[in-house]
Amino acid sequence: MEFGFTEEQEKLRKELHDFYATELPEDVSGVPALSRELQDFWMDLQRKAGKKGYLAPGWPKEWGGLGLGHIEVGIANEVEGYWGIAWPDGIGLHIVGPGLHLFGTEEQKKRFLPEISSGEKIWYECFTEPEAGTDEANQQTRAVKKGDKWVINGQKIYITGGYKPDWLYVEARTADTIPKHRGLTLFCVKADTPGVTVTALPCMGGYRANIFYFDNVEVGDDAIVGQINQGFYHVMATFEFERSNTGIAARAKRELQELIDFCRNTKRNGKPLIKDPMVRRALAKMAIDIEVLRLAAWRTAWRFGERKRLGPLDFDLTGFFSRLNAYTHPNLKMDILGAYGQLPMGSKYAKLDGAIERGWQVTRSYHYAGTMEAIKIVLAGRVLGLPRIPAKLHTTIMQALQEKEKQA
Amino acid sequence: MNFELSEEQKMLKKAAREFLENECPESVVRKAEDSDLGYPPELWKKAADLGWLGLIYPEKYGGSGMSILDLAILYEEMGRALFPSPHLSTVVLCGLTILEAGTEEQKSELLPKITRGELVMALALTEPEPTWDGKGWLPEGVTVPATPEGNSYVINGIKLFVHDALAANYLLVATRTRKGRRASDGITLFLVDAKSPGISYTVLRTTAGDKRQCEVVFDRVKVPAKNIVGKLHGGWAPLERAINVGAVLLSAQMVGSAEKAMEMAVNHAKTRIQFDMPIGIHNWVQEYCIMAFADVQGTRNLVYEAAWMLSEGIPCDLEVAMTKARANEACTDAHWQAHQVLAGVGFTTQDSVLPLHTKRGKVWQLYLGETDHWMEKVAQQIEKWPAPEKPRGKPLGIFNVPEDLQVPNWDVWANQIKNKGKLW
Repeated sequence: MEFGFTEEQEKLRKELHDFYATELPEDVSGVPALSRELQDFWMDLQRKAGKKGYLAPGWPKEWGGLGLGHIEVGIANEVEGYWGIAWPDGIGLHIVGPGLHLFGTEEQKKRFLPEISSGEKIWYECFTEPEAGTDEANQQTRAVKKGDKWVINGQKIYITGGYKPDWLYVEARTADTIPKHRGLTLFCVKADTPGVTVTALPCMGGYRANIFYFDNVEVGDDAIVGQINQGFYHVMATFEFERSNTGIAARAKRELQELIDFCRNTKRNGKPLIKDPMVRRALAKMAIDIEVLRLAAWRTAWRFGERKRLGPLDFDLTGFFSRLNAYTHPNLKMDILGAYGQLPMGSKYAKLDGAIERGWQVTRSYHYAGTMEAIKIVLAGRVLGLPRIPAKLHTTIMQALQEKEKQA
Repeated sequence: MNFELSEEQKMLKKAAREFLENECPESVVRKAEDSDLGYPPELWKKAADLGWLGLIYPEKYGGSGMSILDLAILYEEMGRALFPSPHLSTVVLCGLTILEAGTEEQKSELLPKITRGELVMALALTEPEPTWDGKGWLPEGVTVPATPEGNSYVINGIKLFVHDALAANYLLVATRTRKGRRASDGITLFLVDAKSPGISYTVLRTTAGDKRQCEVVFDRVKVPAKNIVGKLHGGWAPLERAINVGAVLLSAQMVGSAEKAMEMAVNHAKTRIQFDMPIGIHNWVQEYCIMAFADVQGTRNLVYEAAWMLSEGIPCDLEVAMTKARANEACTDAHWQAHQVLAGVGFTTQDSVLPLHTKRGKVWQLYLGETDHWMEKVAQQIEKWPAPEKPRGKPLGIFNVPEDLQVPNWDVWANQIKNKGKLW
């Protein structure tokens, strides 16, 4: 067992840290990318980082990465977390890229991977649908083969992103199978293909999500990623990359550092906040929670590096702990600020630039890559081996409910 | 970063589990509860033969020179089986203090005996008055004086919550020999023969229901000056380090116990049938099991990290404090979750092993510092954290953001997006 890092790894950390320290004017992580200027700024930074290979340090050099191991990728994640960097093309880097690595054809890799690792393009994942949230396999969007083209029709919702996308990573139904998840296929769809339209969904905390409509959108065979009807398995395999995110804990720690500094320098009733026992206790609790989260994330990252499938022991405890913290921490922080906690950024009286208020809002939307319930279902069923309600029983329950309604 | 146990650690874990399953079933734990010693001597001897008592001591004292991390893995198994033994008192709290601060004579006299299972020791630190104040485990809590008389010292006062006092051959007593500028200055440790004239013991009946904790009264107990462990007035530093190690190992023990409780709950949820189905099919029951599982896994990582840092000699006051503070919460939480799932079969003290875990879990939570104590230690460390580099600047300062977005009103912004003809 070993909880430290090698000298090489520390060198890499310093190199990355210094790069972002030079490039970033200040901590802008709390500022939503609303304006054209801000979007341009992040895109520029993404390209600069891409040129150095920092965007995808784990990818082979031929695809624009640095060919580093999983621990090194974890370190890069931590540094990005510290600086509050959320790449405009996070999906391309963390979902599409790994997916193409695993299941893409040589041609697709050549075409897409260098674009992604250089930070030129933006990808969105179009998986979630009105009727397919946690029940990911219940996709209604259809792709039908007509001649040498696939025609996609349907609607995708809660697709996060405020930047203009270049490519969409679409999951669609290609066969009516039982069980449902054996008939799904992945497609790369150019965002400006005729028939693709979009509506914005503003979210709490200033995020933007979107609804994408696909109306007779035509793509060729070369758009298919992996095997036909195997899309669900491909998605599940690539989602695992999202689960080893060491950046969340690094970000949380930086924000705690910021709050601690605030408590050192702010007096209430003539006494620094940090001397208040209740404040101390809240800060200590958050510090412990963050350390638990950090270790869970590193454990997952390490298991990945060892080329072991994520086993029962640490299946998405990162997501589990970060969701627990997502509820408790913003509340504790707002309590420390008192009534000032409710002031958003830019307000004359806002403390810490309103970051805590925004954090509180944003954490309400923290359901990506599966809700807490989805995580718990997996933990209960796959990890602890607890029984599941059989599908048959579901049908019986639904029928009983309908009967009751009829009688009423 | 590597979370893998080494081959030796895996073997140690496996061997310990097998040994304890065979030699330390529930009946042994129950029997030990009623005995004055608090542990079965033949089992203690067997543990010595397995090398558990000298595990972390250097080879020249009969030990095997293994690391604190190795011992933490063993402690997990001991917690799982509720192994009744004075291991923590003898080997860790007293033994490690002697190993660090004792004279060569003391070390070569005592440590091999401990290793062979011939010597049991108890740490007499906490006292009646300050303990209710929550200062029991701080140097401020040490007030019992040791006054010089010729070539000896005379100890006079009461020590409370002395674990394994009735079993001990020697007590390691923390005394106040001078009032220093800081509370930690002026504490001296004495090696006291447990049968010395003037010492009397009264068992404290506690939640655990055993006889392992005592009130120890020192009525003018004479101790030769050569029995001082460490420096005169300078006993706190080595003792504190031993307490830190003890706190991490105790946390490991709590994780082991919590995991056992969690497994009992999961097992019960799978097999108990009500309304013609296993109760584990219900999400509410699953929730308890999941929370216990997360408690165990999350705390275990902390334990391993702190134990690794202790083994490597990396400063880790923060990690130690985090570990015990979280273990305190997680262990009692997991026991509680198990009680919810096991319900009737969980609280009947004769039939179920769970009450044995729950009651000990509570005692361990209060031992070597309750949650408040360690939370405050965490706070003392994190308040030294530096401010982050390049903090937030003036609100939105460097970026040219439209006037109406300077104070973002998310609803205003939402309307803007909706009203825009083009979205990008």
